[in-house]
Amino acid sequence: MKPKQILAVTKYNFRRWHKNPRIVITFCLAFVLCFLLSDKAVKFAKEYDTTMQLVEAFVWTFGDSNSILLSSLLLLLLFADMPFINSGTPFYLMRIDRKTWLAGQAAYIALAALIYLTFILVSTSLVCMRQSFVGNMWSETAAILGYSGAGQKVALPALVKTLEMSRPYECMATIFLLMLLYTLLMVFIMLLFNLRRGQLAGIAAVFAFSLFGFLLNPQTIKAVFQLPDELMYKANVAVGWLSPLNQATYHMHNFGYDLLPRLWQTYLIFALLIALCFFLSLRAVRNYNFNFTGTEG
Amino acid sequence: MGNENIAISVQNVSKSFRQERVLKSVSRDFEKGKIHGIVGNNGSGKTVLMKCICGFLIPTEGEVIVNGERVGVDVDFPRDMGLIIETPGFLPNVTGLKNLEILASLNKKIGLREIAASMRAVSLDPSMNKPVGKYSLGMRQRLGIAQAIMENPSLLILDEPLNGLDKHGVAEMRKLIKGLKEQGKTILLASHNQGDIDELCDTVCEMDAGVMTMIREESI
Repeated sequence: MKPKQILAVTKYNFRRWHKNPRIVITFCLAFVLCFLLSDKAVKFAKEYDTTMQLVEAFVWTFGDSNSILLSSLLLLLLFADMPFINSGTPFYLMRIDRKTWLAGQAAYIALAALIYLTFILVSTSLVCMRQSFVGNMWSETAAILGYSGAGQKVALPALVKTLEMSRPYECMATIFLLMLLYTLLMVFIMLLFNLRRGQLAGIAAVFAFSLFGFLLNPQTIKAVFQLPDELMYKANVAVGWLSPLNQATYHMHNFGYDLLPRLWQTYLIFALLIALCFFLSLRAVRNYNFNFTGTEG
Repeated sequence: MGNENIAISVQNVSKSFRQERVLKSVSRDFEKGKIHGIVGNNGSGKTVLMKCICGFLIPTEGEVIVNGERVGVDVDFPRDMGLIIETPGFLPNVTGLKNLEILASLNKKIGLREIAASMRAVSLDPSMNKPVGKYSLGMRQRLGIAQAIMENPSLLILDEPLNGLDKHGVAEMRKLIKGLKEQGKTILLASHNQGDIDELCDTVCEMDAGVMTMIREESI
């Protein structure tokens, strides 16, 4: 595998973004999604006539597991043509090898996901731009949301532990990284099933993965194991560890006083699972049958 | 025929897609330096066979050996091979020259001079500032052929290479293919057009329902 060839495959995929309606629609929908999801926080600030830190809309919106789930599912539209085979593929495939091709696809997936999440970050910042400031300190809005309990009432994850144990940019970077790792794991699972069982299986695998994260909540664990109320914290901890969606949720981590996963443990788990998916994909591509669009005869 | 004279050896190759057996124990050696024709109706299995030879499809049974190397075992795709498989796909928003430059940059065997020469060989102007999206079908086909020959490969796999060309274009490309044979290249050519096969091919095989039969073995 030569890095330049990997880069060439990646660049070739990005060249196909040019005037591609699917890509344009994905980013337009992502903007609309950001607007709708961050509206709660922005409305709250307007109502109380308070300011917001520039990245707070992103932090309060994507500190929540449902928002992460929605944005990651929208990302699938970007990768709907996975494993990115078209009538031009044979021309560059025959000049490289299968592993290089796959490594190029993996690099494309990682970069495209990074661009998509950066777009989401910028979009949410734009939504609250008129009432925001850039300094690295929490705003009055955050203080009201966190300390008065108003955040929980409007289902925004503005928690005291977030306010007291981090600063906005650091918190934003952590949430961004968690979202990136979660979406990468999801897309690499899609790639693996795509190569092994076909496109439909790839999509089914992603929905199963998302559904698993969505349904695995403390209430389910409590019901399945018939836990009494006083043992609810055990269900919380179990979900914090078992659900990939909760692993990607910032406030579902151990900041020093519970048994939830620590951030570094989550990074490690995601990195290992992504590496495993990539390794299994490398094995799967050895026996993969390439079918190029519009070449059957 | 000694092994050193064999460019492609297809040995007992079968290919199934789910329950459907598209290739049925195909065996055939293709000699170096000749043009080998494959004819057959749509769905007869000729493209699938070509894709197995190129390494894009993995045979369910049997193996393909190209220039002494087992495809899918020793190499993923045969080395020193140029190909065109039916509709050539290019980036529509850049010029033909740029498209070929992008492909050539993958293995860096050739430079701009060779790319331009291959375009001229198929009567395309390398300096033409027109994106491929605005090319006619015939021009795309020519660009596909230029792409196949630009790195001067010893083996050419051409699946319906003359599709979309007008009468004049067909005559030009036939001349080009004959010239490539004279340079000692091995060419595997699939075509619906009996005229192409009759004029160009030294040997001709027919594919029918996944079974290969020899029609003509000697040069005409």
